[in-house]
Amino acid sequence: MIAREVCERVLQRAVSTGADYAELFAERTGDRTVRMIDRKVDAVNDVLIAGAGIRVFKGLRSVSASTVDTSEEGLLRCAQRAADALGEGTAEISITLRERVFGERHPVQIVPSSAPNTQLIEILKEAYFAAADADGAIQQTTGMLLDVDHNILLATSDGLYTQDRQIRTRLHLTAVAEVNGETQTGSVGPGRRAGLEIFGDLIDLKAAGKEAARQAITMAGAGYCPAGVMPVVIDNGFGGVIFHEACGHSLEASSVAYGTSQFAGKLGQQIANPKVTAIDDGTIPGAWGSINIDDEGTPAQRNVLIEKGVLKTYMVDKFNGRRMGAAPTGSARRQSYSYTTTSRMTNTFIAPGEDSNEDIIASVEYGLYAKDMGGGSVNPATGEFNFAVREGYMIRNGKICEPVRGASLVGKGSEIIQKIDMVGKDLLLAQGMCGASSGSVPTSVGQPMIRVSSITVGGR
Amino acid sequence: MEFEKFKQLVTEEAKALGLAEYELYYATSESMRVNTFAHEINEVSSSLEGGVCFRCLVNGKMGYASAEELSAETAARIVRRAQDNAAALESEEPEFLAGGGGTYRPLPPQVGGMPETETLIRKALDAQAAMYDEDPAVIDGTNAEMIGMRDTVAICNSRGLDVSRERCMTALVAAPVVSDGQEMSNAFEILTGDAASMDYSATVKKAVQAAKGKLGADVAPTGAYPVVLGPKAVASLLTAYSGIFSSENAAKGLSRLQGREGEKIAADVVTLTDDPFYKDSPMPADFDAEGTPTRTKAIIENGVLKTLLYNLKTAAAAGKETTGNASKAGYDAPVQIRPFTLALAPGALTEAELLEKAGDGVFVDDFSGLHAGANPISGDFSLQSSGYMLEGGKKTTAVKSFTVAGNFYTLLNQITALSDTAEYVFMGGVASPCVLVEGLTVAGK
Repeated sequence: MIAREVCERVLQRAVSTGADYAELFAERTGDRTVRMIDRKVDAVNDVLIAGAGIRVFKGLRSVSASTVDTSEEGLLRCAQRAADALGEGTAEISITLRERVFGERHPVQIVPSSAPNTQLIEILKEAYFAAADADGAIQQTTGMLLDVDHNILLATSDGLYTQDRQIRTRLHLTAVAEVNGETQTGSVGPGRRAGLEIFGDLIDLKAAGKEAARQAITMAGAGYCPAGVMPVVIDNGFGGVIFHEACGHSLEASSVAYGTSQFAGKLGQQIANPKVTAIDDGTIPGAWGSINIDDEGTPAQRNVLIEKGVLKTYMVDKFNGRRMGAAPTGSARRQSYSYTTTSRMTNTFIAPGEDSNEDIIASVEYGLYAKDMGGGSVNPATGEFNFAVREGYMIRNGKICEPVRGASLVGKGSEIIQKIDMVGKDLLLAQGMCGASSGSVPTSVGQPMIRVSSITVGGR
Repeated sequence: MEFEKFKQLVTEEAKALGLAEYELYYATSESMRVNTFAHEINEVSSSLEGGVCFRCLVNGKMGYASAEELSAETAARIVRRAQDNAAALESEEPEFLAGGGGTYRPLPPQVGGMPETETLIRKALDAQAAMYDEDPAVIDGTNAEMIGMRDTVAICNSRGLDVSRERCMTALVAAPVVSDGQEMSNAFEILTGDAASMDYSATVKKAVQAAKGKLGADVAPTGAYPVVLGPKAVASLLTAYSGIFSSENAAKGLSRLQGREGEKIAADVVTLTDDPFYKDSPMPADFDAEGTPTRTKAIIENGVLKTLLYNLKTAAAAGKETTGNASKAGYDAPVQIRPFTLALAPGALTEAELLEKAGDGVFVDDFSGLHAGANPISGDFSLQSSGYMLEGGKKTTAVKSFTVAGNFYTLLNQITALSDTAEYVFMGGVASPCVLVEGLTVAGK
């Protein structure tokens, strides 16, 4: 993408005012989305993103600058902007880059960016019509197929020069059902850090479409979820969003380094129920949130965040790690060159436990079974979080009963994580996009079925 | 490569491929952000981004392709790919490009322009110091962030349209963290204006008081009682549900307002306008994403839906004029529809009178997690909320970690009164007074 010698000259310029560290991140990303609505292909979004971001550190100050001009002159101007903003001084380090090749953990058989529109459309249609034609109650369906070919280059003042190619493929469908005048939606969004080969054995397109339709119809026929404090059983897969919001964000250096996390200063302490072991693992082959290297050039790692309730590590990037005196954990991520990198999650999940799903459901006299979850958000300083229940059912006397809609769950992370008192065995990951200061990045959430002994259910 | 040169290359390529109707949309965004930790500058970041979107009509279908780099290679690439992408489309609704010659209302003069980095650094450190001085409960983690932005947009097409604009904005985000030794809480306020002369004292005070007010907050009791929504809460809801006013969503069954123009959809006290030149908005807009001149329009007047929002395509399909609400989510996104600044008209009561009318209930300052807890299609919402209990018409205990649930379509009819002063809320770009709503459900302890 950019020659090693050019990177050396650019980094040398970046450290010319006394920076003790400099980094060049360049990218070239093809991003294509085919969209359908009203049974027809109505848009093909197609963009080539290219640019570079340069960052310099001096002690506990970071300066970053980005540009769309990746010519040597453009990069040198960008480096000068960063150097100037850092202040006055003279170069204290010299740059020699050596190329390094990291292994590819995520082989791709059918590179989506080389497939014609017609091939993507054929895949999308198979899933789309399975949803749209599933039942007369389906009034509308929207669908999209996403093809991302993200190529990054990293050159850093400690000598690293490397490149990585990150290919991602995802299907997204929303079905809209109307039952007795009530409109509700159902969604699926399976994806992988892989190519078009995932559609077939791994992701059954027709089954995905039918699932979106089934959920929409079930919810359209459901009554409102009652409000109150009750035990909640959260199923595997996207249910893992509870850990992502209630706990995960508060373990990122971007809040821990500044003391604005409910879990700052608690390493080695029991912060969760002993049933809870939670892991952030960027190395899982083909998983949606996986990476070979992070956006600072650190190889991906498997980080055990919480082991049997005890806080073992935070997720750390290079800059915030300086303030914490902690080494980077392969957690630095950014949406694109124009965002400033910070610590983020990759594939984050609660590890399997010992309880059976039958025992978990049977243990609840009156409560909510959250079969599928929507997204959520958190304030890491206070730990107050929320997330939406996309498909819920009441539990009475240990039995799953009628479906309920419109529920959300709210609470305080540090309290809720202590109340996860049953953990099942059937770990499943699900895919999402996580938004924070460094932009929107692909992350997996996951867990086996769990029970939260009591939580506020927002209903009507 | 300069844009003018790039434009020429694109035009030549389009002609060589036999394209008769095409358009180039070029947007850039430059920003400088300075943030602070304790009494030091923590991060300075400057970003320069932008790109071009080429779209063309091929057999009545509008194909798009975009890129960020202005080069001869990209010029050729986006024209060819847009033509290919058009061939993949199946939608049969006619698409249009705007002609030139429109009359555009001039943008108000820009205050200050893009500030110098040194000015942003000085202002950020001053505002940071002011937050620490405001209250001894303010702790490290507090962040005064100064942001300078400049954005430019240019649209030109084969029908003679050639419009452009440049806007600058400077903002302070005052985000204090406070602690009482037991727990932390935080808040933020945003102030826009000229960097050098910016007077942030009221903003800093408001942010620190808001954060302090949440310390020791209780969980609200579960029940159904009157809810007063503050301007930020209304802004969050209106932003999440602004898509229901899109004629495109209505026609596609993604909004329940199809065929409802002229009908009563809200309580009599509700008047909602879309104003691209709203007086307090730092980002006024003289033309929309198709280059059509913008204008102010009432969407709901005294409870009656006066108009949905249209672009050229949906207006033609409905036999109407565009309302000038074409929008793009980014330079590379297809043309869709959205409002500029939604302004909910103030009512007759002072805020004190409104709270008195509410009596015993809850005042919601703000909602969180709108992207998850508010379903834009069904209208159902169940949202994490924070605010105050209302007892005898007065704000009493601070409350948090509760939800307020309802349905947006129903809520429009459940509004019984509004306060007499609207506040512009930067996040969302919505202006609203306080609103009293009956019939929502509160879930807490």
